[in-house]
Order: sequence, then C-alpha cells, then structure tokens
Amino acid sequence: MAKQRVVVDPVTRIEGHLRVEAMLNESGVIGDAISSGTMWRGIELILKGRDPRDAWAFCERICGVCTTVHALASVRCVENALGIRIPENANIIRNIMFLTQMVQDHVIHFYHLHALDWVDLVSALGADPSKTAALAQSVSPSWPKSSPGYFADIQKTLKKFVESGQLGLFQNAYWGHPAYKLPAEANLMAVAHYLEALNWQKEIIKIHTIFGGKNPHPNYLVGGMASTIDLQSDNAINMERLNMIRDLIKQAAVIVEQMYIPDLLAVASFYPEWTQIGGGLGNYMVYGDLPAKDISDASSFRFPPGVILNKNLSEVLAVDPTNPEEIREEVTHSWYEYPDQVASLHPWDGVTVPKYTGPKPPYSQLDETGTYSWLKSPRWKGHAVEVGPLARMLVGYAHGRDDFREVVNEALGRLNVPATALFSTLGRTAARGLETRLGIKWLQDEFDHLIGNLKGGDTLVADTSRWEPSTWPGEARGFGFTEAPRGSLGHWIHIKNEKIESYQIVVPSTWNASPKDARGQKGAYEAALVGTPMADPERPVEILRTIHSFDPCLACASHVLGPDGRKLAEVIVR
Amino acid sequence: MISLDYDETLQAAAGHQAEEIRERIMREHPGEYVLAVEGNAPTGDGGVYCTVAGRTFLDILKESAEGAKAIIAWGSCASDGCVQAASPNPTGAKPVHEIIHSHPIINVPGCPPIAEVMTGVLTYILTFDKLPELDRFGRPKMFYGQRIHDKCYRRSYFDAGQFVETWEDDGARKGWCLYKMGCRGPMTYNSCSTFKWNNGVSFPIGSGHGCIGCSENKFWDNGPFYTRLTNVPLPGVESTPDKIGKYAAVAAGVGVAAHAASYAANQGIKKAKKNRQTKKLLESDKEE
Amino acid sequence: MARRVHPINIIDVARSPHRYFRRKYVWQWPVRIFHWVNAVAVTVLFSTGLYISHPILAPAGEPFNNFVMATVRQVHFIFAFIFLINFLWRIYWFWFGNNYARSGFPFFWRRSWWKDLFRQVGDYFSLKRGHVHLGHNALAGLSYTIFVIGLGWVQIFTGLALYSESNPGGFWSKLTGWVIPLLGGSMQTHMWHHLFAWGFIVFAILHVYIVFYDGQQYKNGLVTSMISGVKFYRNGDLENDKWLS
Repeated sequence: MAKQRVVVDPVTRIEGHLRVEAMLNESGVIGDAISSGTMWRGIELILKGRDPRDAWAFCERICGVCTTVHALASVRCVENALGIRIPENANIIRNIMFLTQMVQDHVIHFYHLHALDWVDLVSALGADPSKTAALAQSVSPSWPKSSPGYFADIQKTLKKFVESGQLGLFQNAYWGHPAYKLPAEANLMAVAHYLEALNWQKEIIKIHTIFGGKNPHPNYLVGGMASTIDLQSDNAINMERLNMIRDLIKQAAVIVEQMYIPDLLAVASFYPEWTQIGGGLGNYMVYGDLPAKDISDASSFRFPPGVILNKNLSEVLAVDPTNPEEIREEVTHSWYEYPDQVASLHPWDGVTVPKYTGPKPPYSQLDETGTYSWLKSPRWKGHAVEVGPLARMLVGYAHGRDDFREVVNEALGRLNVPATALFSTLGRTAARGLETRLGIKWLQDEFDHLIGNLKGGDTLVADTSRWEPSTWPGEARGFGFTEAPRGSLGHWIHIKNEKIESYQIVVPSTWNASPKDARGQKGAYEAALVGTPMADPERPVEILRTIHSFDPCLACASHVLGPDGRKLAEVIVR
Repeated sequence: MISLDYDETLQAAAGHQAEEIRERIMREHPGEYVLAVEGNAPTGDGGVYCTVAGRTFLDILKESAEGAKAIIAWGSCASDGCVQAASPNPTGAKPVHEIIHSHPIINVPGCPPIAEVMTGVLTYILTFDKLPELDRFGRPKMFYGQRIHDKCYRRSYFDAGQFVETWEDDGARKGWCLYKMGCRGPMTYNSCSTFKWNNGVSFPIGSGHGCIGCSENKFWDNGPFYTRLTNVPLPGVESTPDKIGKYAAVAAGVGVAAHAASYAANQGIKKAKKNRQTKKLLESDKEE
Repeated sequence: MARRVHPINIIDVARSPHRYFRRKYVWQWPVRIFHWVNAVAVTVLFSTGLYISHPILAPAGEPFNNFVMATVRQVHFIFAFIFLINFLWRIYWFWFGNNYARSGFPFFWRRSWWKDLFRQVGDYFSLKRGHVHLGHNALAGLSYTIFVIGLGWVQIFTGLALYSESNPGGFWSKLTGWVIPLLGGSMQTHMWHHLFAWGFIVFAILHVYIVFYDGQQYKNGLVTSMISGVKFYRNGDLENDKWLS
C-alpha cells in the first residue's frame, strides 16, 4: 500500500466542525495525523464589557450538546471573583443538574454518536429475532423489552425503512465494512436500543426543565439557583416536582444498568483489539467536581482532581488552574495571534485575536507544518494531556477511591482484560459507561441529600447578598470550573467596574483536539490516531472510532457557541 | 414522509461520503427539498471562520439554497444571528435572510426553539403543502403570534402589581411576577407559556427565572438581562435610559439655575450702581 | 429711580405712546385648552410611566381584587389617547387658528427666522430684556417643534406600537406595528419610549423657567396669557411678529 493522506471533513456525529487528516504509511497504518477545528465565533470578545451576571447565558450557548456545563463554570467563576458562597441546596441542585447532563450525554453519545462505528445497521436485517431475544436476555436478564416479537417488530420497521430506499440519516455510511465484527443479532439488539435511548433521553432531561425551566439551555443564576423551594407552594419546587425528579432518576438507573452497560460490555467483548489501539498521550488531567458543600473544598469532590503522567497510576499530581505557571495556551499552529510574539499565556492574561493564515477556501488539504486550526493548544506544565471520562476514572482509581475501583475492577473482570486495557480507544468508551454508573448512584445520593436538607427545614437556594453590583469590589478575578461530560472545563474572568474586562475559556475538546504545540507535541486526538491500522482508506471507520471515543465537541473547543452554527440539515419533502 | 438526510450531528456517514449525500439531494431533487439551516454563516474575511470539507459555510449555504423549495432558519442563529452576531460580531455572522434573498425563508427563532414548534412548522408545510403565515419578523404566526407575557400564568400577579423583588423573597416562593427581575416575557413572542418545554414540564418563568427573550431579534444586545430596560445602544453612551434622562433633567435644572443666578446677580449689580449714583447725587446736593 | 405709575394722562399717551401698554387677544381658547390638557396628560403619562417601569408598593395577599399595575396601565393608556386627540386637535388648529397659533413654526428657510433665533439666544445670554414677541420667538418655536411636536410624535408612535402588542394583527398593530421592527424589536422600542419620556421633563424645566423669566423681563402678561389669552404690548412689539405672516 502506498503512502496516503486520508481527509475526514466533516467528522459527523459530533458537535461542531472538526476536520481530521491522517497520513498513512506504506503498511496502511496511520503515521501522523492532524486535527483541525474549522470554526470560530469569538465568544470571549463578545463578553467583554457585559454584566458578569449575564455571562452564563452567553457561555451556555457555546454548545447545545453540553448545555449547562458552560453556564455552571461561568456562574462559578463570577461567584469566585465576587466571593459568593452559594447555599447548600443550590450546590446540590447544581450537582443534580450536572449529573443529569452527564448521564444523558453519555448514553446519547454511546447510542447515537458512537454506536454506528461498531454496529452495522444493515446487517441487522439478517438477524433472527428469537436469537436476538435470547442474546438480549443473556446480557441483561432483567431488562423487560427482550421478547422475540419486540425484535421482530423493530426489524420490520428497519426493513421497511431500508426498502423505501430512504435511509435518511443512515445512508452512505460504511455498512459492510470489514471492521464491523458484531453478529447480526447483536446489531439488531443495538439498533433496538438506539431507538429506546432516543426515546428515553428526552425524559431524563426533564430534571433540567424542572430546575432551569428548559433544556437545552436551562437557566442558572449567580449566587445559587432561581428555582425557589417551597413545599407549601404550588409555584415553587414542591412535592410534585420532587416526585417527578425521583421517578426520572429511577428510570435512568434502569436504562443505564440494564441497557447501556450490558450493551457496552457486549459490544466491547467483540472488539478486543481496540484495547490496544488509540491510547495516545497517556497523560490525563482532571480539575475535579461535585463538591459536597462548597466548590472551594476540593477534598469533598466526588470527582477528585489530579494529573497522571505517562500512564503512571501510582502517582497523582496536584493541579492548580489558577497558577499561571501550570496552564498555558499556545497558538503556534493556530489561527490566532499573540502580542509581542509571546509563546504562551495563562488564561487570566489570555487574548483572543484571530488571524487566519490557513489556505484559502475551498482547500483540499491543510499544512501540518504551518497553522491549521481554530483551536489553541493548552498545555499543563508543558505537557499535552487528555481530559474526559477516562481521565476522571483513572484519577479516581489512582486516588484509591472505592467507588471508582469497584466499577472499574468489575468491568475489567467481566471483559477479562488488565487495567492497561483502559489506555485505549475502547478504554475511553468503557470509562464513559463506568462513569455513568457512578453518576446514577450519585444522582440518587444527591437527591436523598436534598430531601434530607428539606427535612431539616433548609430551603434556601440563592445567596442574594452580592447580587447588586454596588456591593462588588472595583476589580476582581475569578476562576470557575467543572467536569463537563467531555472533560475539564475552565472559565477565567476579570471583572472591572462592574463589567467583564476579560473572559477566557479553555474547554475539554480544546485539550483533546488541540493542534501541536511549539515543541511538536501532538494533541490527544492526533496522538491517539497514530498507530491505527486502516483496512480501507476510502472508508475510514477506524478514524471515527478513535475520534468518537473522545466524544468531540468542537463547538466548545473553538468557542463557537450555540447549539447551532454547526449543521445544515436537509429534508426531502415528498 | 420526512427523510432527514443530512445532519452532521446525527448522520452515520462522515467525510466525503456525508458531503456526497448533500450533493445527491441537490442533483436529484431540485425544487423539492426543504433546506433547514442551523447556525449562520460568518461572512468576515471571506468566510474562513467556518469551513466544512474545506469549503466555507457561506459557500455551502448559497449552493444548497439554490434548489431548495423553501428554507427554514432553525433557531436564533439562523434567523437573527444569535450570540455570535452579538456586538461586536467578531466573525461578521449574518442570519440566513441577510444572505439568501431568492427563496421564501421561515424564521423559527429561539435559543433553541421549542421542539414542538420545530416539528409543528415542518409538519405544517408537509400536511397542508403551503408555507405558514409569517409575522413582521418572518416568524410563523401560529407559534410566535403573541407575547409570552399575555399568556403567562403569572399574569394575574403582574396586573395586581405583585412582583418578585429579590431572589428568595416571599414573592419568589409564591410565584409572583418576575417583571422586576428583568423578565423579557412582555417583549417576547413565543409559545413557551402555552406549550411549555420538554413535553410541558415547565418553562423558564415557571422555574423562577425570568425569560431572557431568546426568540427576539438580537436579544443578546438587549441586556443586561436582569434589568427591566436595556441599555441605550448609542456609541460612547453605555447607560440606562433612566440615568441618561436624570442627567439630562439635572443638566437642564443646573442650566436654568445658573441663568437665574446670573440674572439675579446682574440685577443686584445694576441696583447697587443705581443706589450709588443716587447717593452721590444726594451728597452733592448736600454740599451745595 | 423707580418708575412711578401715574393716573393715565391722555395727553401724555398721545405724546409718547411707547411708554404705554395695549391689550391684544393672542392665545385663542383652543390653544389654551391644548396647552393645559397637554400639561396634565404629560404629567400623568410620565408618572404612570415611571410606575409601570419601576413598580413599587406591592399589595399583599392574593392577586384577587388587586389591579394596581392594571389600573395604572389603564390610566396611562387613557391619558395617552387624550394626549393623542389633543395633539391632533392642535394640528387642526394650526391651520385654522390665528397667526399666533402658527407662530411656533420653524421657518428655517427664512433668513429672518435665523436672525431672530440668534438674537433671542443672544438676549438670553446677555441677560437683556431684548425684543418682545407676542407670539413665539424663533427659539421658543424651535423648542416646541423639537420637544412637543417631535417628541410627541415619537412617543405616540412608539407608545401605540407597544400598546398594539397586546392585540397582534389588530387595528393599532396594522397602523403602528411597523415601528417595532424599525427600532429592532419590542425591547428596543420600550427603551426608546422610556428614554424619550425624559425629554418632557427637560422641556418642562426649561419651559417653566423661561416663561417666568420672560414674564419678569417683559412684564406683558405673558404668564397669565395662557389662562386669559391676553397679552399686552407696547409700540414696536408687534413689529417683531411681522415675519410670521
């Protein structure tokens, strides 16, 4: 096989605009790769001069898929700057919203954004419904929808769909590609659950609607939450609302434990080779999140913070995003300009000045030696690091947290692979599922915690003592962070005279999808692609598997804002 | 039947296979497909701020629009520019109707629009084979005909004059009107207070936070969100209308006071002069 | 030396008429009614407007039987229509009233108007009594054109547009609804309506002051003329209004 350059643009089933160019060597293995964010909107410039209390709404629109995470980081950075401590209930509600987002997002990612990389939809047509039912019952005995009739109905629908010649969203994919390994029955089961998950995801998210009024883009509030609790009022969070939340959490637990996790493990068991591919950097970073009471108390976080270097699970390094020596962003290969040719900047001093120096569109190829992305290259103490579910599971595991160890060890045992299998494409995908299991458990915990507080008579959800700008200091800096589904997210704010002086955001996918830095260190996507063998360069399903295992969110990464700004949907009217 | 053929967030195909689908639809179904655009095209610097498959979004939008039967601008990005077009609009982002002039465009604003509204618009076109009636902003009247405020379940508190004054006050718990917290319900045309969100669970006002007006034209520049009135958008003037009004009134007051004072002083000087003259005259009389 | 008032001496009047005032009916009753209705309407509109934008003194209890905001808005709307009808009435009288009813018109294409404008400004700054008009001087006319006519139209159109929002597609919406997209949406329309309302306050301050100042300077019954309609003039005063006709 000759050397070849494979270009995937658009990378679909992600949020935002991502382009990947992979350079294959003679043996059909990826030798080098670049990842390019191909869109920029300039949120940081738009925020300048605005009311800091409004910032969350702007930031939230960075992305419609990870809605809420930017709002959360934003209110936290403003509260941090102004010295506001939110009431305990507000913290719990934010944790519940955080976990709801994470659980929903991970399930959607697995079924709707990632599964089709592993599942051959068309092959499901040839499956035997009763064998499928048997398989479904064996992987998840208590899941109710596993009768032969159910699968026969699903198959019929699918058949009609394919025969009509209108595959819609599923047309022109890599069906029949040799890299698909699942038996027809497993494929049919996955298709059925694709539809189940699609139905369920709009249920769980109602928790956001209860507290935030809508989803996508629920409302947040500097100082706490706006959803007052009054058990004696039908116009506030009351028993009816709490019942709904409890039921939704229960329902989510069933979906995760009886559908998602069994499916994940079943699919994973057919692709053992992917525990050897796509490991990438081996450096992992977590800011941490889910405080018990107060965001300033990192020791109470359910997700502990820390950095792991070179896959060394025996040592977790401390991370301090407010330290200007630790996190620095470079623009060597990005379409931005820094003043006075400085090499890197900490986000508090960060600037965003676009300077497009790429090829003039339309172009067919980017130059990996020049500038090639709208993403900056953030580095931790000079290291390129990976963030996300795998990083969180590894840091929790390395910290020796029991809940982490339990779910990780159980899964490793079920798949019969060593812990090193986690450093891979499949490891990333599995970590997401394991994290969802924790998420469900914690969601129940947080809910019980809230009820406990209410029993004690504490219904406060907002601290309004610093609401009025006249109570603010003339100048203040703040840092807000969260662990978004895709990884560590940080917002840095500088407030001056009641207005935003500067605002900088470093999002998970900027860490993961970042271009090379000045020292030539690859970003996490680029590093993970290297060494991947490709069966058919014309149909690069292998690239999609690894890239999707990160759950890219380029809308966020290039601060491109909005649930939108991303897709051009076409519908044929007949 | 709706066949969603090209949607980057959900479609199975990627890369050039994905783009092939778009090209095929345009080739095989000219004048038959509905183009639903999410997001908008940055027009600054030749459109380099958003490219797909090496081409600018602007270019792809124009090409895809050519054979469309109608264009739906999904969401505030496509229909009014939304947040990336907020001042200073660094990328020169423009809503679809400022780029495409040759086709009927249905604006379905909201950040995001209510799901039921989106499906309602699409199925209306399919079922009745005509485009919905639009208002002055190109929005379907059936969903954007009235203000949220006029259908809000808290309207009785508004009419009574009962308003939430701070988060967490008694009014907030009782569900009083959020008008004074900056609620944009009185200026926002949408169905939130009738359909509500996520299968009718709640809507922003129902969950204690005011509406931010996300289906209104250029709503991002109508801030700050927690004040009743937006700042005056004149260049160099960044203030509330009340502040400007008060300053103007004070300036007028100071002006007339200064005039009155100088008039009084002037009169005093004249009088004193006269008095001196009279005195002199009297004195000279005496001497004689 | 203080001017002494003597009993009228016919011979003196005939010899030096410039020392004596004569009566003239200047402000016809429609103009006077317009003025006072306008003054009341603007006062009510401004104060109810302030409440509407910054409501205070919330009643306690259930919203049942409390209509504070609703009532204030109703009053605002009623006075807005009074303001509007009064405004149209004055426009009618501009054409059918006497010359003084037209004296505020800015004849900016005439040299004499500009001359008068600068002369008036000069008079005010030099604190001199200067020349006397029985009608409006050019500066007064200009300020009425800007503050009463201009501002009035702006408030009428923005106000009616906002009013029409409660009945989309209705009469007022068809007539004035175009204002909302013109100004960039309902929020912006509210803002401009509110900002321009302050213009009336600025005007009221200037207007009341100048009236008393001029009254003090001219001593020609200027202040009471808006009630009686009558002003007093001396020889030569009428000359200053000549450019009107």
